[in-house]
Amino acid sequence: MIDFKALEAEIKATAKKWLESGEVKFVIGYEKSPESPIARPFFAHTPEDTEKLYWGPDCINNLTLYLVEEMKKKPKKGQPPFTHAVGIVVKPCDSRTIVELMKEHMVPRERVKIIGVISEESINPDKLYLALKNVPASQRRNIRFHDAGENFRITYQGGELSVPKKELEADKCKVCVVHKAVIADVFVGTGEIEFKPDDFSDIKELEEMSEEERWKYWEQQMSRCVRCYACRDACPLCYCEECVFDREKPYRWVEKSVQVRENSFYHLVRAMHLAGRCIDCGECQRVCPMEIPIRQLNRFLIKKAKDRFKVFSGMNAEEKPMFGTYDLDDPGEEIK
Amino acid sequence: MTQENEAKDEWEPKIIGFLCNWCSYTGADLAGTSRLQYPPNIRIIKVMCSGRVNPQFILKAFQEGADGILVSGCHPGDCHYIEGNYHARRKLTLLMDLLDYMGVDSKRFQMSWVSASEGQKFAEVVTTFTNQIKEMGPQTKLRGVK
Repeated sequence: MIDFKALEAEIKATAKKWLESGEVKFVIGYEKSPESPIARPFFAHTPEDTEKLYWGPDCINNLTLYLVEEMKKKPKKGQPPFTHAVGIVVKPCDSRTIVELMKEHMVPRERVKIIGVISEESINPDKLYLALKNVPASQRRNIRFHDAGENFRITYQGGELSVPKKELEADKCKVCVVHKAVIADVFVGTGEIEFKPDDFSDIKELEEMSEEERWKYWEQQMSRCVRCYACRDACPLCYCEECVFDREKPYRWVEKSVQVRENSFYHLVRAMHLAGRCIDCGECQRVCPMEIPIRQLNRFLIKKAKDRFKVFSGMNAEEKPMFGTYDLDDPGEEIK
Repeated sequence: MTQENEAKDEWEPKIIGFLCNWCSYTGADLAGTSRLQYPPNIRIIKVMCSGRVNPQFILKAFQEGADGILVSGCHPGDCHYIEGNYHARRKLTLLMDLLDYMGVDSKRFQMSWVSASEGQKFAEVVTTFTNQIKEMGPQTKLRGVK
C-alpha cells in the first residue's frame, strides 16, 4: 500500500528546501488541475510554488524532456556559461533517461538535483478515460487516486469508484525492470530495487509472423501516420538542434507528403536514432494521435541491442553510448 | 509500372554498392583490371570508409528505387581508420534486423568484407548477389509502388 499523500508531502518538503537554499533555480514536477483527470507538468520557481506539487499514479509525463530543454539554453554572447542546477521529480523509468543523457554529456551531473520516487506503476490515460466513462463530465473534477491494495480508489467530485490496478496499468509498466530510480539525490518512498526479467513477450507475436504478414501489418500502421512528429517532440532523447527531418539543405531526406514510403523512412530512421538509447518511457506512443504502436519498434531494438551487443540502456552513466563504441567480438555472421 | 510488368523478362535489378575507398573499391578496381566478368547491375558509390555509411543512405536508396544494396568494406582489423568497419558492423547489422522486423526483405541488403587484393571475391559477391536479387524481383515495399 502506497500513501500518495505522504509521498507528495516528501516531494514538497524536498523541493521547498532546495528552492529556499537556492541550490536549484526551479523544480520540475507535476501538478493537478481540477479539470484534468491526469497530472500535468509543473515548474516550481519559488518556495511557495511547491505547495502545488502533486504525486499520484497519474503522473505520466517524462519530465526529463524539460530538463534537456533547460540544458540546451545558451547564454548571450560574451556571457559566462550557465551553471545553475535544476531540480526534477522522476519516476524510476525517467531516471534512466537522465542516465542516458549524462552518457551523452547533455546533462552534467552537478546541474541536476533528482528526487527519485519509488513507485509501483503509472496508469494509462486511455484506460482511465474508459474507467470514468460512466461518470458525468460535470463531475470529472478533483480526481484523486488512493491505493487500496489490488484496486485504485478513485475519488471525484461527488463520488468515488474502485478500479482494479491491472485494468489501469500502462503497457510500459508491465515490462518494467526497474522499480527504484537508478540515480537520485533524494529517494522518496521506500522499497528495494527489484528486477523482473523482461521476456519481450509483447512483440513475440509480431516476430513470429511471416515476412509478408509483418509487412502488411506495418504498411497498414505506416499508412495511418500523419507525420505530426509528436513522437519526436515528446522524446527526451530526440534533442538534436536541427532534426534531420526538418532539413532542406544540403539534402532533403524526407518529403513532406504523407505516404507509406516517406512514413516508413521516418519511422525506421527515428527508431535507428534511438537504438541502444531508448529506455522505453513510452511517451512517443502515448502522444501519438493515430495510435501507431511505436513502442513495438523501440522494444524490438532494445531486445536486439541486448541480444547482439549486451547493451541495456540507462543503467550506468559510466558506459559509452552503444554506437559510440564497439566490441571486437560483435556478432556479424550475416556479413559474407 | 505496367511497362515493367510487360518487360519482366528484360527487367534488370538496380543494385547500389557502397564501397570503401581503401579495400573494396580497390578490390573492384582489381576485378576490372584483371578483366573479371561480373554483372553490370551494380552502381558503385565510393565512400571513404564503410563506417561512413549511414543507415539513412540504405533506406533512401531503397526509397529511390534500388532493388538491392551492397555495403562492402575492409575485413575486421584491416580498417584504414582502425575501427570504422567495427562501427559499420554494429550499425548495419542492427538495421538488417530492423528491416527484417518491418517485413522488408533484409536479404536485399548485404554486407561483405572485400580486401584490396580480392578482385576475384568481389566479382563472385556481385554475381551471386545480382542473381539473388533477380530471383527476388523488384523491390516495391519501401519504394512505395504497388
